[in-house]
Amino acid sequence: MDPMTAGGGGRRDGWSRRVLALTVLVAAGFVVLLGQLWYLQVLEGARFRDMSEKNRIRVRPVAAPRGILFDRNGLALVDNRPAFTLSLIPREMEDRNTVLARLAVMLKIPLGELQESLARVPADSLRPVRIRRDLSLEDVAKVEESKLDLPGVVVEVEPTRVYPTSTFAAHLLGYVREVSDEQMKGGRYRRGDMIGQTGLERLLDEHLRGRDGGERIEVDALGRPVQLMQREEPRPGAQVITTVDRRIQETAERELAGKAGSVVVMDPKSGDILALASGPAYGLDTFAGNLDRDAWTRLIKDPAHPLLNRALQGQYPPGSVFKMVVVAAGLQEGSLSPMDRTYCNGTYDYGGRTWKDWKVGGHGHVDLRGAVIHSCDIFFYQAGLKVGPETIARYAKAFGFGSATGIDLTGEKVGLVPSPAGRRERGRVWHSGETLNVAIGQGALLVTPLQVARMTSAIANGGVLWKPRLIQRVERPDGSLAYSETSKMTGQVDLAPAIWAFLRHSMSGVVNDGGTGVAARIPGLEVAGKTGTAQTVANSKSEKGQDHAWFAAFAPAKDPQVVVVVMVEGGGHGGSVAAPIARQIFQAIFLEKVAMGVIAFGS
Amino acid sequence: MILRIDRRLLQNVDWPLIVAAVALICLSFLSLWSLSPTGGIAWRQLVWVGVGTMALLVVIALDYRNLVRAAPGFYVVGLGLLLTVFILGRTVSGARRWIHLGPFTFQPSELFKLIFVLTLAWALTSRWGRPLSRATLIWTGILVGVPFVLVVRQPDLGTALVLLPVLAAVLLGLGMRLKIFAGLILGGVALMPVAWLALKEYQRERLLVYIDPFRDPLGTAYNVIQAKIAIGSGQLLGKGVSGATQSRLAFLPERHTDFIFAVFAEMWGFAGCLVLIMAYGLLVLRGFEIAANAREPRGRIVALGVTALFATQILINLGMVTGLLPVVGIPLPFMSYGGSSMLVSLMGLGLLLSVRMRQFQ
Repeated sequence: MDPMTAGGGGRRDGWSRRVLALTVLVAAGFVVLLGQLWYLQVLEGARFRDMSEKNRIRVRPVAAPRGILFDRNGLALVDNRPAFTLSLIPREMEDRNTVLARLAVMLKIPLGELQESLARVPADSLRPVRIRRDLSLEDVAKVEESKLDLPGVVVEVEPTRVYPTSTFAAHLLGYVREVSDEQMKGGRYRRGDMIGQTGLERLLDEHLRGRDGGERIEVDALGRPVQLMQREEPRPGAQVITTVDRRIQETAERELAGKAGSVVVMDPKSGDILALASGPAYGLDTFAGNLDRDAWTRLIKDPAHPLLNRALQGQYPPGSVFKMVVVAAGLQEGSLSPMDRTYCNGTYDYGGRTWKDWKVGGHGHVDLRGAVIHSCDIFFYQAGLKVGPETIARYAKAFGFGSATGIDLTGEKVGLVPSPAGRRERGRVWHSGETLNVAIGQGALLVTPLQVARMTSAIANGGVLWKPRLIQRVERPDGSLAYSETSKMTGQVDLAPAIWAFLRHSMSGVVNDGGTGVAARIPGLEVAGKTGTAQTVANSKSEKGQDHAWFAAFAPAKDPQVVVVVMVEGGGHGGSVAAPIARQIFQAIFLEKVAMGVIAFGS
Repeated sequence: MILRIDRRLLQNVDWPLIVAAVALICLSFLSLWSLSPTGGIAWRQLVWVGVGTMALLVVIALDYRNLVRAAPGFYVVGLGLLLTVFILGRTVSGARRWIHLGPFTFQPSELFKLIFVLTLAWALTSRWGRPLSRATLIWTGILVGVPFVLVVRQPDLGTALVLLPVLAAVLLGLGMRLKIFAGLILGGVALMPVAWLALKEYQRERLLVYIDPFRDPLGTAYNVIQAKIAIGSGQLLGKGVSGATQSRLAFLPERHTDFIFAVFAEMWGFAGCLVLIMAYGLLVLRGFEIAANAREPRGRIVALGVTALFATQILINLGMVTGLLPVVGIPLPFMSYGGSSMLVSLMGLGLLLSVRMRQFQ
């Protein structure tokens, strides 16, 4: 019989029997509840009554120390130190306004600022709201002295970031700052959390943050701790072993000091970033405390753009550094040969215009290698026309220009490789003179220093484009591996082996055979490099001091182990400004290596 | 026309049900009143009781059969509201479960609980020739699954957890074989690891805290301990309004809403709790009785569904406050402060009364 059509005939049809069974089930639930209430209120009631009478438990979070970042040799890039944090516990502030007023006078904090920080927190919240970080000892003493007049005000010790120097590896490491309202929306953070905002601190924030612990403290009527009831230890963040070499990074920053520009040091055999510097830098520690709004605005509006990571966010014409791409393209495609010769008198007539060499009067007779060594523009104007703009663009892209390197830092720019085809797609025309400009790395061509480092590495290692690697591994406090990264190849440039050898040989000539990079010469070490002096569009007619100075180099030329790329904004000549910086960096690297017996000088 | 109420209907008003509900609302008012000296929230809640009573009358006047017939419409509107919250929730920080209506906020997932019951009644009776055929089950599953996922992702685990027992009660009531039922549950359990993998690290962490509150010693565990102290310290006869230090000194979290039972238990002790639980017992027993006596399929499912909804919320909330169950955000029907919850509880009551009144039609 269908249960649903059963009338009221039988006293218990299927439906009502099943409903009865459900009723019994629910009734059983009620009985269990009553049992629990009997247990809590009658059997254990006296104990709980006692606890409620003494119930003055204060809960305070114990901040987890942020994970530490190490360089490749185990030296710390950043560390933690204890700092005093002033916090308010809303629920324990009986008379909010009085307490805030007292505090405002005592520590000279604007009252409005204190009220504002409490405005978004429920009045019965037990979680301390951080008001000031990194309190001075003097202020700590003041607060502790008048503790009884300040219910709900606590001073806690929290680990805070400490940096070798204020600006050390600023763009690479990134700064740590209290979570913003915007970031709170994801539901991932709690108010007052310190999180990585840029650089590696941001990329690895989940690993570095660890987990806060907590303490339950019983306090007496005056708020003085009586005993520690329970403590959950914080779990420190994981530590990160980067690919950076702190000593090289320091040297790079020292050499870049006072200049706007960038230095990238890369291992051409693996793509490891040994140093990544950008100048001017900003003080990382200014963010750890309470950065006031004015200071922040000043930083953002600074015309020197200290927040910009020039190594991957700065886009510049590469200047003559790009000539290496033209040589590679021409040799591989057969439109150039090492035997090509031309006479350079300093000018070249093309398209109804006279194109000049950087050197007044010219270089005289030059062959291909000579043209690289002396960076002869006249030779490359003609070479560009021979190779053709489409082929140059193709090779430029093969060498990684116009595409991101994929480095694990945010905001990377991709630059621009112009070509007639690309121009047509956007309905614009390609003027034949532009081919001449591109051939010497000028015109619409834009690259980042990191891209140049990738290209230079490819020349040094015979064609492999590496994804720049910054992180070797992330280790949890218990030593287990949370994350690791191996070198990744993202592309390969196919040239005949002899061509690679020619490129390296001619770049060695730039430094060692009296070329434009002679300032990078180190006796006993064969440095190979290419200078670049990039005219900026806006300043093309003004004095040479506005040109960007480039030097892209590797050493030792026969067995390249390190690539150094230097770019100084408005620095002037690559050979006189960028090359000496590269020299200092090579010297620092290889002196160390000599000391460690890896390389013998003058071999 | 449909608002005309037949005199015969009035003869079948279920007074015990109304008595139980009125008693609970009085106890709620008392508890809220004692929590704030000015009684602001208590009066505010009373406004919602008024609004809810109007809604109750409207629900009664509109024959529940009409409501079941209109269920697909409600379902679409309900889904729309849930989606609205979902989309607005991304722009309005934190408050994902609520929609703002002037000074009041509204929680669509609360309303959806009733829509859910009506939809079940509609879906399971629309092809009544073959009750619980595989096809019916599958498409009921789809109807239920979509809002379930939305609610879970809000994330409002509490509401989602309430919907499942309601579904189970209705299916079991309709005579689903226990073997199939057990199979479905096992299947659900088997899928859990898959869902787990789909979650993000911090979402998992949040779920783990539900299961083991001591993972978050500053949040959930603290609440549970304080609630236990409050309840236990009430002892046999309670501490009265003035002596209830746990509640009044604000050691108790969420004391107006999800944890209001702890306030009540501290003030009125085991004796008071007994009265409260008897009132709830009466409510649920009458509800089941109405369901059992209903003769018409839609009435049966509506009554059983609403009763199961009440029973589940009561048991889970009390179980959580007394420390028997993990902490999930579920309000206590008729007791917890909150407009949506009160409104929906009264409308549910209206559905039960409506089924009972039309029992002999």
